[in-house]
Amino acid sequence: MTINVQVPSMDPMPLPGPVWLMTGLLLLVFTLHVLAMNAALGGGMWTLWNYVRGKKPEHPNSRRLAEELAKMLPIFLAYTITLGVAALLFVQVLYGRFLYSSSILIGGYWIMVIPLVMLAYYGYYYVSYTAVRGKSRTGLVAALSVLCLLAIGFIFSNNMTLMLRPEVWLKMYRAHPNGFNLNLHDWELWPRYLHMMIGAVAVASALLAHLGMLKLKKDPEYGAWLVRRAAAVFAITTGIQFLDGLWLLLAVPRDVAMVFLRDPVAGTVFGLALMAVIAAVMLMVLGSMAEQPNSLVYAGVAMVVVTVFLMTGMRHLLRQAYLAPYLDPGAVVVKPQTSAIVIFFVLFVGGLATVAVMLWKLAKYRKMQGAAGAGEMTI
Amino acid sequence: MNYPDWILGFPGGMLIALIAIVHVTVSHFAIGGGAFLVVTEKRAYGKNDTAALAYVRRHSKFFALLTVVFGAVTGVGIWFTIGLVTPEATSALIHSFVWAWAIEWVFFFVEITSAIIYATSWDRLDRKSHMLVGWIYFVAAWMSLAVINGIITFMLTPGKWLQTHNIWDGLFNPTYWPSLFARTALCVLLAGVFGLVTIGKKDGEARERLVRWSGMWMLAGSILLPAFIYWYFLKLPKFSKTYISERMIYVTHALNSGYACAALIGAVTLVFALWKPRWMRVPVVVLLVVASLGLMGSGEYVREFSRKPWVVNGYMYANDIALAEVPVLQQDGVAAKANFLLTTDTKSMEYGENLFTLECGSCHAVDGYRSMRQRVKGWDAAFATQMVAHLPMTKGPMPEFAGNEADREALGKYLASLNPPVDYGTITDANRVAVGAQVFAVHCGNCHTVNGNFRPLRDAFTNSTPDQVEGLLPMLDTMSTNMPHFDAPADQAQALAVYISTEANKSLPNPPASNQPGPPPGVK
Ligand code: HEC
Ligand code: HEC
Repeated sequence: MTINVQVPSMDPMPLPGPVWLMTGLLLLVFTLHVLAMNAALGGGMWTLWNYVRGKKPEHPNSRRLAEELAKMLPIFLAYTITLGVAALLFVQVLYGRFLYSSSILIGGYWIMVIPLVMLAYYGYYYVSYTAVRGKSRTGLVAALSVLCLLAIGFIFSNNMTLMLRPEVWLKMYRAHPNGFNLNLHDWELWPRYLHMMIGAVAVASALLAHLGMLKLKKDPEYGAWLVRRAAAVFAITTGIQFLDGLWLLLAVPRDVAMVFLRDPVAGTVFGLALMAVIAAVMLMVLGSMAEQPNSLVYAGVAMVVVTVFLMTGMRHLLRQAYLAPYLDPGAVVVKPQTSAIVIFFVLFVGGLATVAVMLWKLAKYRKMQGAAGAGEMTI
Repeated sequence: MNYPDWILGFPGGMLIALIAIVHVTVSHFAIGGGAFLVVTEKRAYGKNDTAALAYVRRHSKFFALLTVVFGAVTGVGIWFTIGLVTPEATSALIHSFVWAWAIEWVFFFVEITSAIIYATSWDRLDRKSHMLVGWIYFVAAWMSLAVINGIITFMLTPGKWLQTHNIWDGLFNPTYWPSLFARTALCVLLAGVFGLVTIGKKDGEARERLVRWSGMWMLAGSILLPAFIYWYFLKLPKFSKTYISERMIYVTHALNSGYACAALIGAVTLVFALWKPRWMRVPVVVLLVVASLGLMGSGEYVREFSRKPWVVNGYMYANDIALAEVPVLQQDGVAAKANFLLTTDTKSMEYGENLFTLECGSCHAVDGYRSMRQRVKGWDAAFATQMVAHLPMTKGPMPEFAGNEADREALGKYLASLNPPVDYGTITDANRVAVGAQVFAVHCGNCHTVNGNFRPLRDAFTNSTPDQVEGLLPMLDTMSTNMPHFDAPADQAQALAVYISTEANKSLPNPPASNQPGPPPGVK
């Protein structure tokens, strides 16, 4: 690595909180963001496929699934965005000097994320309204929304890989100072992008297996159908993900990738993540193949969530390894704004409690009415 | 000078402004509209008004679709654009206020959740709980305004923060309260305006009642707003007040259009909403929405302009250069400090152009928006080089130039290259005064008028003969270090002197007050 590369200097203002705290929050909200994104994107693909398939009368389950899923898509996207904002906050404060630089280099595309999200979002709303009635354009709109989200993912992957590569910045800037650059020459870009997108399908499938389990009691046939399909797709995509993961590891420069061998913490996270994936696949397959899908599926889903969290951790360690030549932890000045931090946590707990109260009221009313699925959750 | 400069060909601030105006309009509606929904719901239950209930259900869907999607995504859009256009300032803000934003995020999270639940649970909650969700929404939405308002006002009036760098000093700054009240009044106003959007077309007594009800909100907002805006103006820093009161014609235009929009909204409210609600048809509603956008747009323009030349008053200039960096750059030069230059050959024209985009491009385009070409007409390289060092003295509220001698020369050369050299032709007795006026416009007009109200020269030159004026010209830069050296061919100098002396000695019905502009824009 050449250290002889100019990167923006640290902000003269001290960090307003301990690095460990802000890193922890970043990892937490980013994991949640990824889960929501997976549900929104992978869920969108599931909806699209089943919507098209469900048009034929011989696939009533697909039709039903598409209708049910369509109603959830806007909500998944709402939380993808909300949680993404939180991640953006903390990544800026911790890695702003890298992130702003790479964002500006691809600024022309980066800014397109906003109209693309808007399109995808309103598209999802359209789908959620029309999936049941089956408007002729519903499938097309769903496809467009999914395409928008795929494009957004690609722009994000570009930015997240480019921010780790200060050595190419100046040349890139001089090539197109108007921000119409992409990080296409970086070998890591492709496997990394695929990793996020295939992962989205896999995780969404795991969440659908969960949904299927919930349906099992009231509607065994449909529930079992869903669990088995979702588990199968999960297993297949995870298999592909495995290969892609290998490609990704090979694409990372060797001295950076070595962190997983040299650093005991990184090695442990890596090992745990591998075990978690294998456990997730096994639990999911075993649980869904049984005569009647059983609670092993739930354990599988839980392992998937654990995996995503560990993968987020690996991503973080890789980022640290990439940026190591430019980071100087000793030079970081921290001046915690303790009162603000305390207020944040108090309000955070209060906010969660408020949300819990609202959900509790919904559940209570539903029980009182005893009406199954009365009034769907759609705007 | 840490970051690459996103070169768009027009000031990036325009992009921010575009997104900000729609976002601010929708997000204020998102707050006032929340209260509007629950209060309307409660009244409908109380009076057993089924028409109102049907309306408020319909409105809640429109509300959620507009605020949860468009409002939230444009909000993220502002984040994206400020990071691209002013990364240095964004970094400073995030380092100072990340916990404020984290707190705001909690409210945002509750807001999104409750908005979705409110709009979707008309049949899934008992009335009391449904209204509770609505109130939760409103409180969360208003609280997020209360937080973000601290950061926005901070940028104009950082107050004690400049000394203490304490987050609470920054948030609860001198304009915090007036701004919060003014924005709350706007929320109420916009709740009424957007309330009309879903009112439907079917005539009848119920529709009229609902139009009047929206009208009450608009009326309340319109009555409260001017008082709070006035309070806000009182708290503005002195330099901002001078933009508003006299100096900047653009601000005056923006203010006048703001007043016009407000008056229009007020008049429409009285006539079409309260007096003859039957007349409130689609075109009138469209007019109201457009006028609201106009009101928000001019308000935002005035607010942004009053902060010039700063992005954070007293801390960072609008061209994303920190005040503390200026002396360093003046000492070492841009080429030694900037990370992302298109060239480091300080002698090249490209370097000069690069300096323009870096230091001026945030407020000037070459052509079009606040055109640079128009503003440096007649400048030769030597004069431009000097003027670059004196920009804060001109009419424009501009930052100090951050660069050394070589940088000034490079920028001067570039600015001079934007226009062909002027040719005054042969100067004769007949055209001498007219040519003198042109010379004045080039050499003095950026900083003086003779009889106008910007740093008028009348007092200095009444009773001076052209020869006396001419004799003074070569000494201007020794009289004041704030002036460039005057250097022009003798015939032009003579023409200038004749012009000044003629103008300064002609009798005027009301001569200008000897009105010197205040100190260049600073913290107070
Ligand atoms: C903070 C924004 C800002 C920046 C940065 C800025 N200007 Fe300006 N400039 C203005 C404004 C506002 C005006 C006055 C309004 C107008 O003339 O339209 C102005 C006016 C001018 C004028 C005409 C002055 C007059 O009063 O007649 C010149 C010349 C000029 N700018 C040159 C520059 C140069 C050169 C730079 C870069 C070194 C620069 N400006 C940077 C905002 C800015
Ligand atoms: C870059 C801006 C700038 C330019 C260009 C400029 N001046 Fe000035 N001038 C000033 C400032 C500022 C002052 C006020 C003294 C001070 O603050 O140093 C001033 C003061 C003066 C004064 C003294 C006025 C008094 O009332 O004491 C005279 C005379 C004067 N200028 C004449 C001129 C003439 C003639 C020209 C054109 C050839 C000119 N100036 C160009 C900025 C400028």
